[in-house]
Amino acid sequence: MAKCKIGGAAIRGIVSAVPSRRFDNFRDASGFSEDEVRKVVGMAGVKSRRMAGESVCSSDLCQTAAESLLEKVGWERDSVDALIMVTQSPDYLLPSTACILQAKLRLPITCAAFDVGLGCSGYPYGLYLGALMLSQGGIRRALVLHGETPARFADESDRSVSLLFGDAGSATALEADPSESAHPWAFVLHTDGTGYQDLIIPGGGFRERFPEDRRRYCVSMNGANIFSFSIKRVPAVIEDTLALAGTTKEGVDYYILHQSNQFIMKHLAKKLGIPEEKMPLTLGDFGNTGGPSVPLTMTEGGLVRPADRPLTLMLVGYGVGLSWGSALVQLAPGAVLSSVELGNQG
Amino acid sequence: MTKDTDEILAWVADIFETPLEKIRPETKRDEIEAWDSLGILTLIARMDEDYHILLTDEEIQRLRSVGDIIDFLNQRDASPGP
Repeated sequence: MAKCKIGGAAIRGIVSAVPSRRFDNFRDASGFSEDEVRKVVGMAGVKSRRMAGESVCSSDLCQTAAESLLEKVGWERDSVDALIMVTQSPDYLLPSTACILQAKLRLPITCAAFDVGLGCSGYPYGLYLGALMLSQGGIRRALVLHGETPARFADESDRSVSLLFGDAGSATALEADPSESAHPWAFVLHTDGTGYQDLIIPGGGFRERFPEDRRRYCVSMNGANIFSFSIKRVPAVIEDTLALAGTTKEGVDYYILHQSNQFIMKHLAKKLGIPEEKMPLTLGDFGNTGGPSVPLTMTEGGLVRPADRPLTLMLVGYGVGLSWGSALVQLAPGAVLSSVELGNQG
Repeated sequence: MTKDTDEILAWVADIFETPLEKIRPETKRDEIEAWDSLGILTLIARMDEDYHILLTDEEIQRLRSVGDIIDFLNQRDASPGP
């Protein structure tokens, strides 16, 4: 069972990056009637989104975030030992986007770099891998990058997804810190691949190489199944993580959930008995940006940070796979939380 | 024990924000405007919230009329929870 505690890692900073182009669902969604837009916005909660142009990839957003982060945390590029890129919107089928980013970020060739192909659940998995690598010795500093461009793989005529998705990237600086061993992070990571067809881009991979129908290259979602999955799995994974960490719901300052859909998130908050102010929502301004919505909400969710103690954060990703996971982590008062914008020219 | 049909009719009318007089056991899914893809999400949420039932994909597909919802709840012998 994938449940574990890992000590000795600290978050030095997180920077999120979104495209500068703002898309207002009421003003700019010309393919739908006003009534349709009102219904979808009323349920999903997405009023506006940030959308990358055709020339902007997840890697560009992550690069922008990482450049800013390296400067803000004051890391020499040569000191970065590992780069993990979590994405399901890579630049190419091969090579790994992480290798391209290692070069673009001018990280040393002594740096380990690899991709992790997970979406909505990606952030807890990325932190898990980063913390695990740091805990083994040898690797002292790691960048966990997580970016997606879901707005670019949505079929514009599909009401279930086209008004929902936005694009975002993020970079998280993790550093080995023996003083943090006393406060290990708790992870619970799970999978149910029987639901793989509930959120899928069927075409373009090696199972269906060159489909004629262009829609096969766009995402298809069974919203009802994803909702049922979410309300079944998310409360359980949160309860399991609290038990593993030996803490209570009240011991968590914020529950930062993947920003899937406002209706789902409010239902989860109610079901779990979590006050809404402890579960920040950012999808009203940014849409569902996939897994990067977790670090995006950490930087843009208006977290109140006491100066004298770290925040305890429950980070939860859930969705495509179907895959879900949690990370209960500490965020020190001095850790950087910041955001940048990227113009559509890249 | 058979659940009170009137109670379920009122519950369905509330979910789909439809006047009660338009909700009969024989009313089909496509006769209720709000019983669309978004309405299904509300139905799933209220099943969970009010009856502690997590609908499966197969169960969602089988609910094609108000009568199906009534039968389903009676088969599950569901009663509203706290």
